Formats: sequence, C-alpha cells, structure tokens
Amino acid sequence: MTAVDFLNLLIAAVLLAGIYAVMSVGMTVIYGVMKIVNLAHAGFMMLGAYFAYELFERFHVDPLIGATLALPAFFLFGMAVHWLLIRRLPKSDQPTLSSLLLMFAFWLVLQNVGYLFWGNMDRSIFTPRTLKVLTLGPISISLLRLIVFFAAVLCVCALQLALSRSWYGRAMRALIQNPYAAQITGVDDERIARITFGLGTAFAGFAGALLAMLYSFSPDFGRPFLIRAFVIIVLGGLESVSGVAFGALVLALVETFSILYVPAGYQPAISFGLLVVVLLVFPRGIGGLLERKWRPA
Amino acid sequence: MKRFVGNFQPLFAAGILLVVLLLPLLGLTPNVIRILFITFVWITASLAWNLLGGVAGQVSFGFAVFYGLGAYAAALMINAGVNPALSFVGSAAVAALASFLIGIPTFRLRGPYFAIATIGVSEAVRVVMNNISAVGGAGGLRVTERGIFRQTEHYYAGLAIAVLAVCVSLLVERSKFGLALRAIRQDEDAAADVGINPFRCKLWIHAIAAALTGVAGGVFADYAAYIHPQGVFAFSTSVTILLMPVIGGIGTIWGAVLGAAVVTIVEEQLVAVFPQVHLLLYGLLLMLIVLLEPDGLVGLLRRILRRMHVDPSSRGPDKALWGRGRLEGREL
Amino acid sequence: MAALKDVSFSVPERHIFGIIGPNGAGKSTLFAVISGAIRASQGRVRFRGSDVTRLRSDALVHFGIARTHQIVRPFRAMTVLENVLVAVHYGRQSAKADAKAQAISALERVQLAPKARMLASALSLGEQKRLEVARALATNPDLLLLDEVCGGLSGAETRAMLALFEQIRASGTTILYVEHDMKAVMSVCDRIAVLDFGRKLAEGTPAEIQNDPAVIDAYLGSGMLGTNSIA
Repeated sequence: MTAVDFLNLLIAAVLLAGIYAVMSVGMTVIYGVMKIVNLAHAGFMMLGAYFAYELFERFHVDPLIGATLALPAFFLFGMAVHWLLIRRLPKSDQPTLSSLLLMFAFWLVLQNVGYLFWGNMDRSIFTPRTLKVLTLGPISISLLRLIVFFAAVLCVCALQLALSRSWYGRAMRALIQNPYAAQITGVDDERIARITFGLGTAFAGFAGALLAMLYSFSPDFGRPFLIRAFVIIVLGGLESVSGVAFGALVLALVETFSILYVPAGYQPAISFGLLVVVLLVFPRGIGGLLERKWRPA
Repeated sequence: MKRFVGNFQPLFAAGILLVVLLLPLLGLTPNVIRILFITFVWITASLAWNLLGGVAGQVSFGFAVFYGLGAYAAALMINAGVNPALSFVGSAAVAALASFLIGIPTFRLRGPYFAIATIGVSEAVRVVMNNISAVGGAGGLRVTERGIFRQTEHYYAGLAIAVLAVCVSLLVERSKFGLALRAIRQDEDAAADVGINPFRCKLWIHAIAAALTGVAGGVFADYAAYIHPQGVFAFSTSVTILLMPVIGGIGTIWGAVLGAAVVTIVEEQLVAVFPQVHLLLYGLLLMLIVLLEPDGLVGLLRRILRRMHVDPSSRGPDKALWGRGRLEGREL
Repeated sequence: MAALKDVSFSVPERHIFGIIGPNGAGKSTLFAVISGAIRASQGRVRFRGSDVTRLRSDALVHFGIARTHQIVRPFRAMTVLENVLVAVHYGRQSAKADAKAQAISALERVQLAPKARMLASALSLGEQKRLEVARALATNPDLLLLDEVCGGLSGAETRAMLALFEQIRASGTTILYVEHDMKAVMSVCDRIAVLDFGRKLAEGTPAEIQNDPAVIDAYLGSGMLGTNSIA
C-alpha cells in the first residue's frame, strides 16, 4: 500500500468519524441526563433522512439547508415526544427496562410510519455535488463527504460550547454528575430533561439528514447506525463529547482500513466485531459503564 | 367470598394439554393445525426468552441467532441423513455453544447495553450467514423432505417441545438456581454480595434459553423445508420472540404462553389483512404495556379477577405461573 | 488528593472492631476497598493470611466475608424468607441439613421470623436493615462487614441491633463495623480506629480513644464524644 493510498484512506476515515460523532452525540446527551438508552434514535435519524429528502424533492431545498432546518424542527419534535411519552416513565438514576422497551416500541412505530409514507424502496438524494471530487495533488476527497464532515464538526463544537457556557449546559452537567444534589439546588429536572431530549432528537435528525446525502435509505435505515453509535459510546464513554469524538474516530479508522482485509460482504459486521474485541481486551470497559451501572463523576 | 384460582391452575393446564393432544383427531382444517404448530414453536421460543429476559432480567434483542442456528443445524443434519430427533438435539447443542461465545463478551455489559449488544450480534450473524455459500448464503437452504408431508407429525413435535419448554421453565423457577436468577434480576451487585456468581449464572441460563430456542428453530426448519437468513436470522424474528413474553406478561410462564398465542394469531391474521401496520400495532401495544400495565396480559387478567373478587394468588410455590415479574423502575 | 493514605490496622478474630470518623474522613472509601467495590492504588487486604484485595463480593463470601449495605438493598420482589434462603444456598455451606431451616434460624436471630412470608419491600427501614444482617449471616461468614447499619434507626432499634452484634460475636463471628454514630460504636466495640481526612488518627479501646488528644481535637466542639451523638 502506497503512502498516497494510506493518506486517502486516512482522510476518508477522518471524514467518516465526523459524521459518526454527530450521530452518536444525540444518544450520549440523552443518556447522560436522563439515563435513557434511546433506541428510537435510529427512528429519528431515519425521519431526518426523509425530512431532507422531502424538502429536496418537493421544494428543491439543498439538503445541507435541509439538514440545518432539521435541527429546530426535530428539537421541537423531540420536546413534544418527551412531553407526550417520556415524562410518564418511572424516574430512576439508572437505565430501566421500561425506558428501553418504550423507546424500542416508539422506534417500531416510527419505522411503520416510515413504511406507510414512503414504502420500503430505497431512496437517495442526488445533487450535482454528490459526485464531485476534490483533488489535492495525488489525493482525492469526495466533496460531499468533506462538506458533511465540516457540518458535523461545526455542530458538535457548537454543542460542546453550548454545554460549557450556557445555564442549560451547567444544569445538565450538574444533573449528570449528581442528580440528587442538582435537584436540591433548584435545577428543574423535568424542564432540563425535555430540552435534553429535544437536543438529542435534533442531533439525530440532523445526522440522519447528513447521512441521507451520503447513503441511500429506507425506513429500516437507522439500525446499523444505531449499532455503530453504541459501539462509539462504549469506546469513548457515555458522558462526554470528546469521548464520543474519540470513539467515532476509532470506529471510523477500523471500518475504513478493514476494507483492505475483509471481504465486502462482511463489512456490516465490522462494528460489532470491534465491540467484541474491545470487550475482551478491556474487560472493565473503556467507558467505565461495563462493570458498574452508574459512574459517579 | 374469595375463591383461590391458584389451586385450579394445574388442573386447568392439564385440561388444556389434553385438549391440545386430541385436537388433530377432531378433523380440523390443515390451516388450523398449521397455525397451532407455529404457535407451539413460538411458545417454546417465548418461554426460552422469558428464562433469560423475564426470570434473570437480561433483555436480549438477539434470540434470532439461536433460532436461526438451530434451524440451520437441523437442516444440515437432516440433509445428511441424520434422524430428525437427533438433529434437534444438534440444534440445541449448536445454539448453546453459540450462547457461550456470545455471552462471554456481552454479559460484561449491564442492562440496556447488553440489549443493544445483542442487536449487534444478531445483525453480525445474519451478515455472516448471508455470505457463507456452503450453507446456501443469501439464497437459503433446502431441507430434504423425509417421505410424504405428514402434518400431524410436525404438530406433535411442536407440542412436545412446547411442553418441554414449560417443564424446563417450571424446574428453573422452583430451583435454587431460579431464586438466584431472580436475585440477579433485581440487584446484581447485592446478589454477588450473598455469594452468587452473576456472570456464571447468566451464562448458564443463556445456554438453556438458547438451546430451547435452537430446538424451536430446528423443528421449524424440518417443517418449512426451506430456510434463509432473511427469515430465521431476521431482526424482526428477534423482535417477535421478545414481544411474546412481554405482551403476555414478562417473568411468568402463563404470560409467555399467552403472549405467544396472541402474537401468532395476530401475525397470521394480520399479515393477511393489514400487512402495513403490524409494526405499528406491536409498537403501540408495547408502549401501552410499559406505561399502563407492565405485567402484560397476565397483569390485566389479574386485575379483572380482583375486580370479580377472585383472589388470583397461588398457594404454594406456583409463583412461576402468575409470577411477580415486573417492569419496575429499579430492576434493570 | 487521596481519599485514604497509609491506613493500616488489624482486626483480631472474635472482636467487634469499629471504624469511625467525621464525614468525609474516608470511612465509606475504606469500606469499599475492603469489600472489593473499589480498587486501591496501593495496599493489601489480608484475611487469615490470604490476600483478598482484588476479590469480588461472591469470592469474598466463599472466603467467609459477608457485608451489609449502607443504603439497604433487599431483593424487593422476593419474600423475607427467600432473601435469606438465596444467601443460604449460595453462601458458605456449613454442611447442615435443611436450607429452609437455616434460613429461618438466621431470621430468628434478627427477630424477623414472623415476617418470613412478607415481601421485603413491605418491611420498615429498621426491619430491612435487620434483614440485611440476617442475609449476611446466612452466608455463614467468619467476618461480617457492617456499613453504617444504625443510620435512620430509632433508639430502641439501635439498642436491639447492638445487642445482636454482641450475640454474633459471641457465636464466633468477627465484626468490622464502620459507623457514623459515635455512641453506638463506643458502646459495643472492643477496639476502634479513628479516621480523619483519609488518615488513621488513632486506634485503641473505646476508653483510649475517648481520651486521645488527637481525637478530641478532631471532634472538638462537634459534641460527638460522650453521650451525645449526631446521627
């Protein structure tokens, strides 16, 4: 393998990591504050993809703009879902079976909604940008992937900034670190939870819209990405944005470079293989969530 | 005046068994026999899942792996001329072995993380099986017909494994192993504090559950004569297996059986009439259960019986039948 | 900053050994290290000559070390009897006959036998604490680790609990008792170690501790010595 090939693959991996990061950050935020493992994340991503698709097909809205519009749209949607459903769950400082099954059930519902509206044919978003390739000397980069990468990184950085500066971010971190103390000091946990769920959903929708530019999709679209998001979380820890970035990078690197060694048919199983290796080699888990249910800050 | 339902449960169960044993002799249509057969297969898988998910509290979204492996193992053995009954034993063995390979890394994870990991396993196995041309790859595998198709033979095979699953479930629930599993479900760390090795217990119940599910897959393969990864290893298969005990009443034997019956009938009738909405229905049903009646149909029945001033509690150690499995906030 | 530094002591067999200290002294950390919940960066925990530092709870039980929890953790959906029964089944078997009989006798020691068929969740806090002790005893331990068992108990309940500890010691089991309630510790322990800011301040009999100037200094003005207790 030449240096140029290596560089090409490396760049491809980094670009992929960006999108993986923005995809996982939504799940992380919801888990950190509410201790809910959001299986419906896959469903929201799928809806985000179709959201961008519809805007593109009907109103000729550039999918990047569509993705940006997805943020507020899905933020409101997420808050509505929280108000309707999530807040009725029994509260706990640990992940519960009820929350797991509820989110799973909601995912089923979302999938079916997808099938009802759009059928089970694969769709894709095809713009003139889709095929453009940037060439810097011997290196070629897909323009689309580059744009998506920057959009993703921008978003994640904005999130990190918002978390560290805003009152919401402070309240959120307080709730993550010590829910009881936070409540005593007057943090309105239900309001924060609603905003958090909205935020997580917004990111899911945004990520889905971005992914729609890169891949074809159907209502079942979210599942392989859900698994990847999970692997990233296990790798990087469930409670920090930088952890997600790290996990995303590792997974993207492994997936990209595995093309050299693993037959194409087995590609989808890579992420799980990585998970197994990590679990075997780091039995106590990198994220610290494996042996202990709940990690105090 | 309260009447104790509990005392009548063994009689009730025996009655059902008798009826079911004699049904084929009553001249029912082949379609009904077919539906009953499918129900028996699903009852087996449902009870199996309940052992791991209901009793031990480890929710797995990946039981299609064992179902599929059992199906393929039986198919390959039958094609090679092995006696079907022996092939089913092979199914159980293969599934149990797989459960160890899967459990050893994944049981390091708790609760929902374990659940998501099982989704990954399921998908990974499906992808792998799709690619192995030696067992047919994506095209699937034909199972050699053994003489003419005798429906009643399959019917009784299905019934036999369903009864086996019930017996295994009863045995587990009444044993000290069952007690340990319930302790693990409620509080894994406290269970370790009294000397239970949660990891080892989880592996063993996983193996038992996997073996039963594998046998179900094997019996199905023998009947279906053609299996493919998109069917037996499908995520929707895992979902169905999980939904049955949860809808029926997680943690209870009646719940698993009832849930399997309900789901099978819904699947069979619904697929015909409303193919578009069955995910929606399951989703809504599951949401209702989680939010309103975590004990599923069995829980609903209990409430109704209480309204009628009949005490549903059982005398003696029959907790397995009505059970106390709950989707409580603390129990993951 | 270390939660614990250079804390060293030996617990003689058939003693009740108390560990006390103000809040934040490191008592809970010490307990967690001994019971295997937390890994210490340095140091060893030895039990009758064997190194048990890295062992998990279930392995410790088979060595003969059982523990209770500061925040009670009964198996709520199981009956009182079942809670103890599972401990009998999976603890250290003492080669006696009937598991159920052993469970009942453990319950009798804590006066919970009449409530055997109740669900654990239906018990009061004091009863649940007694259930924890019964459950730990049912594993047939040689060393019982108690974690702030008297928190939230009434005066009468506390006295009953302390009497129980003396019975347990009399039957041959050693007790390591981490506690916040100074009065309880002074009245029942044979030896006491005092922690402050992660270090061992003093060790000795209750009388020695009460007169130790360093200890008095640490607790000065908090009214914790003598007959007043804060808990």
